[in-house]
Amino acid sequence: MTGATHGHLREITRRTALGALGAGIIGATVASWPRLSGTDIPGRGDNSLSIAIMGTAADAAARQRAIDAFTRLHPEIKVKVQAIQAVDWKDFFTKILTMVAAGTPPDVVYVATEGAQLFAEKLAHPLDEYVRRDAADMAEFFADVHPSLVEAFMYKGSLYQLPMDWNAANMYYNTTAFAQAGLERPADDWTHVDFRNSLAAMRKARTSDFTPYYWTNRLFGGVVPWLYANDTSFLKETRSAGGDWLWDGFYANDPSRSLRSGGYQWLEPNADDDRVFESFDYLRGLVKDGLGVRPEEGGGSSLVGLFASNRIGTTPAGGYWVQGLHEAGMGASDFDVQFFPRWKTQRHQFGTAGYAIMKTAKDKDAAWEWIKFSSSREAMELIFPNPVTTPARRSMVNERLYAGKGPAHWKVFYDTLDRFPTTGPIPAPPQQAAVETALMKNVSLAVSGDERQLKQALASMQRDLELALRRQS
Amino acid sequence: MSTTTPRRERPKRTDKTATPMAARVAGAKSQKAGAAHPRHNGRHSQRWLAWVFLAPTILGMGLFTLIPIVASVVLAFFRWDIISAPTFVGFDNFSEVVQDPTVRVSFVNTILFVVVAVALQLGLALALAIMVQEKMPAWLRVFFRSAFFFPLILSAASVSIFMRYLFNEQFGVVNWFLSLVGIPAVPWLTTPGGSAAVVILVYVWQNFGFSFLLFIGGLASIPVETYEAASIDGATGWRKHLHVTLPLLSPTTLVASVMAIISALQVFDQPYVLTRGGPGDSTRTAVMVIFESAFQRLEFGQASAIGVLLTLIIMAITAAQFRLSKRFVFYQ
Repeated sequence: MTGATHGHLREITRRTALGALGAGIIGATVASWPRLSGTDIPGRGDNSLSIAIMGTAADAAARQRAIDAFTRLHPEIKVKVQAIQAVDWKDFFTKILTMVAAGTPPDVVYVATEGAQLFAEKLAHPLDEYVRRDAADMAEFFADVHPSLVEAFMYKGSLYQLPMDWNAANMYYNTTAFAQAGLERPADDWTHVDFRNSLAAMRKARTSDFTPYYWTNRLFGGVVPWLYANDTSFLKETRSAGGDWLWDGFYANDPSRSLRSGGYQWLEPNADDDRVFESFDYLRGLVKDGLGVRPEEGGGSSLVGLFASNRIGTTPAGGYWVQGLHEAGMGASDFDVQFFPRWKTQRHQFGTAGYAIMKTAKDKDAAWEWIKFSSSREAMELIFPNPVTTPARRSMVNERLYAGKGPAHWKVFYDTLDRFPTTGPIPAPPQQAAVETALMKNVSLAVSGDERQLKQALASMQRDLELALRRQS
Repeated sequence: MSTTTPRRERPKRTDKTATPMAARVAGAKSQKAGAAHPRHNGRHSQRWLAWVFLAPTILGMGLFTLIPIVASVVLAFFRWDIISAPTFVGFDNFSEVVQDPTVRVSFVNTILFVVVAVALQLGLALALAIMVQEKMPAWLRVFFRSAFFFPLILSAASVSIFMRYLFNEQFGVVNWFLSLVGIPAVPWLTTPGGSAAVVILVYVWQNFGFSFLLFIGGLASIPVETYEAASIDGATGWRKHLHVTLPLLSPTTLVASVMAIISALQVFDQPYVLTRGGPGDSTRTAVMVIFESAFQRLEFGQASAIGVLLTLIIMAITAAQFRLSKRFVFYQ
């Protein structure tokens, strides 16, 4: 009996040993869990400064000359650029957040206006101390950059990014379509009525396979430029206090100094504003009369091809479009650009982008050195050799950049800021993704039906925006 | 037989109180145990071998299916935005998603989508399977089987991007063809009805191939004698299909419908790429809302709560299907 028991015990012991081994492995894994992250994967946890940009491997390679120049200046800092492919900025931020969750956040991220306040609120480290420390170096940069662009990266009185490039929603027009309709170049202060008349003339000249006004349903260049021109927005815009240290230090003599603040704030919805209704009703009229398209959500991928093949008369876009149109075969005189039409104001919408240092960055000083270098004229010329965007430095938006590619009135790009200093950024609070969804989902319905449907869509937008802003606040 | 465990053949009499009789009984028992042991050891090692072979699958399922399911259920009771530490909120996420009109609309859209898309998918697949199996010569059958299955192996996102161009109101090929017969441009992707129709159409086109293959297999397994007997009884044409094919194909139909419904309940790629859920919420589906909650609004708790609700719905529908199958499915 005992012998049997003894044998049985031996069996259990063997099993127990194996079980204990398995339990030990699991236990060790669980015990070491807080220390395990994506950086523990071999090859990921080195000390180089990792910089995430939106784009392809080719975009990362295009920065190589700038990296080489930086490395010559700072041989002690090893730089690694990670290009992250994304459909749009929202998609890009989602991927960055996934990297944060995986424990492999980059040290520096190239962030556009759409995500500036999300990063400032939760992820980014303010640049104030560095800008103050290197004020002598930075003075040259700020002297060359319009304060509107800088203000877009102020949040609650602190600066989180330096603008590297930007684009306003100007109005591109096809010169062939204009000529066919007997239209001249519009005046700088053309109005929304003039714009509509131009569309009607183009429609009369070309009745089929042609759209006088093509627009997309998104945060940049969609309905927002019309809201800004009508001196309103779908969110109530306020400014926070602070930031005087920057404005007094670098923009004391700027004519628009009094307009500057500690940053934009969008805390409440405004879709029930009468002027929002008026702006949407105007767009609804364009759609109803066949002058403009019903905007597709997320549309825009086919825009360059359609514009280049003379099937679109006008569309809102910024300087980023020039290289694309050139590569699509448009000559320098085949298209041109003008300010966005005036309504109650001629305030434009713009988006800008720049590097943000992550709170989790291993070496913030090294990250700042990269940002400071990238803001130099030398680095910007290496990064933006072609008009794929509008450089933030005024001195770089010159004849040489647009030579042989057009448009003839390229000065419109930077003049937008000088002529209309109230020109504002894309309305993007920290809850940008939810806000963008709330806007986009109601725009198509608002401009595609009758007045009753428009009112319903705006009421729905107001409710969705309230919900979006309440969340995570 | 006993040579394998000689030590166990003679139990040690360590128990001083044991009688000789008891010792003999104990010895007999021990002999029995010893005799059984080789077989036991064989089974034992076979069992270990089985575990070794199963381990990768079990580990994979545990890591990538079971743990995420459990984590997702747990997460439904927390508020978590990836960046900050999660906080326990009880049933708040569930009450919020139930009150959220967008979530409610997305679930209604999903159910309507399932009803229409699955009916079309199965109907089309069955009709084409019967046609290919009966009317086509063998060489053409092979071609059509591959042709109908082909869309399934394409990326749904790529197909949707392509379809987006085809259905563009101003410049799409579909409207161009319609214009040739005098039909004015249809706003396919910018009206609630049009966008829902396109999403269903693209989904069905891409997915019916799988159901088609299942039906082809099912049709091949129906004995020819059954049709001969039906013919002798006077059944012709569609009556044969109605009274022979459909009943005998019912086990295949059950499998095809269960898989089609589960897949349709999880539709995401087509509406996301084609319409982004719009216009309004007209093509927003449950999985799209999960994606938007989690990866765009960073509300992982709410996303998990919606996921849990969707899982419960899928389980309820599948259970109902199997319960109903007892009445409508005939096994040969």
